[in-house]
Amino acid sequence: MSSTDQDEALISAALDGSARAWERLVKRYESRVYNFSLRLTGNQTEALDLMQEVFLGVYRNLHRFRGDSQFTTWLFRIAHNKAVDMSRRKYMVTSLSSLAGQEQSDDDVLDHIANDKGAQDPQRLLSAKQSNAEIIGCLDILNWEQRLVVELKVFQSHTFDEIAEMQDISANTAKTRFYTALKLLKAHLEHNHELS
Amino acid sequence: MSCHESLKLVPDYFDETLSLQARNALEAHLQVCADCQQALADAKSIKAHLRHWQDEPVPQWQSVPKQLQDKSAPVKPRFSFWGQWAPLAGAFVMAVAVMFNVQLQVEDNSFTFAFGSNAGIDAHKITAQLAQFETVQRALQQQTLQELSSQIENRQASNNTRLLETVIEQFGDSTTRSLEQVMAYFEAQRQEDLRRMQTSYQRLADSDFQTIRSMQQLANYVQYQGSQLQ
Repeated sequence: MSSTDQDEALISAALDGSARAWERLVKRYESRVYNFSLRLTGNQTEALDLMQEVFLGVYRNLHRFRGDSQFTTWLFRIAHNKAVDMSRRKYMVTSLSSLAGQEQSDDDVLDHIANDKGAQDPQRLLSAKQSNAEIIGCLDILNWEQRLVVELKVFQSHTFDEIAEMQDISANTAKTRFYTALKLLKAHLEHNHELS
Repeated sequence: MSCHESLKLVPDYFDETLSLQARNALEAHLQVCADCQQALADAKSIKAHLRHWQDEPVPQWQSVPKQLQDKSAPVKPRFSFWGQWAPLAGAFVMAVAVMFNVQLQVEDNSFTFAFGSNAGIDAHKITAQLAQFETVQRALQQQTLQELSSQIENRQASNNTRLLETVIEQFGDSTTRSLEQVMAYFEAQRQEDLRRMQTSYQRLADSDFQTIRSMQQLANYVQYQGSQLQ
């Protein structure tokens, strides 16, 4: 059974009221959605909030999913919209800028690790969190629109046409935003002597 | 100095939907343009840097919505057979009940249905009430008309006096006879205005009573229909 078929079977069962099917569907995508949320919000609490909003949105609209596009495309369209809503509500960019100013101490990272019930290898997770914090710091220099384009292109591998449709802009505008974001990231990394 | 083509070339390079022809043109330009080669190398390097992201484990969270936990009801808003047709059936039953004037009489141990009885609508009672209402309304309107007429009469008399005074002031040499003629003319005008005004008010009142009569006719019709059904 292909991944798409499995998705459709789980969606159908969830629509018939199966909590177990819904749980399995969530398990398949929660990591992608959580890490998407983490890169956009920069902190665990807001990432969890955003993930919950995304899956609640998916649950409420599941009956509208017609299978015209892949489930992941549909899911990330909802995720994109929820992220935009959240940024509007909380002035996310501003809060992220202030967060970027704070160096995440090892103690903070260890606290997060202690809260992660699924942590298998604390050393590896510590290293991952430090590396990820540096990437979040890079993304932080971008404005919200550029950040979303980079997220959808680099991490979610969407086409520019799909990004354009999600953001209600032209494909050329999406490309321009992507190019501008890359130039800003290059300047930032050169400044920090991190680009080889 | 960077090549202006890089603005288009770099994003296009990451566009999987680019046509073969466009991709060939892009590759051809890359072969000869050192600036674009550098811009593309930078873009690839940045992408690789970002892709160092290591997925973090998802913390414990409530993945099953409360609605799905509380009741194992389907999420989809699809109606069952009865859920779909019940509103329509209800509307139909109501329409039949209204059309045939169905009455339900509930007693201690039983209930009875009655079809077509006109007991629910007592036409005589309605007619009597409407007649009483008409009488009261007529009396009220008559009183109002009289009050209005007297007010207008007073106001006009006062206006006439003022006009007369103005005329006397303007034509101080006028004779008493000519003044009497002017007075007589004003009086005739005043009477005519009053008559027209009363006619208009009467028409207005008549249209109200016409409405009441229509309601009486409707009540009579319902009574007639009821007696036909019995």
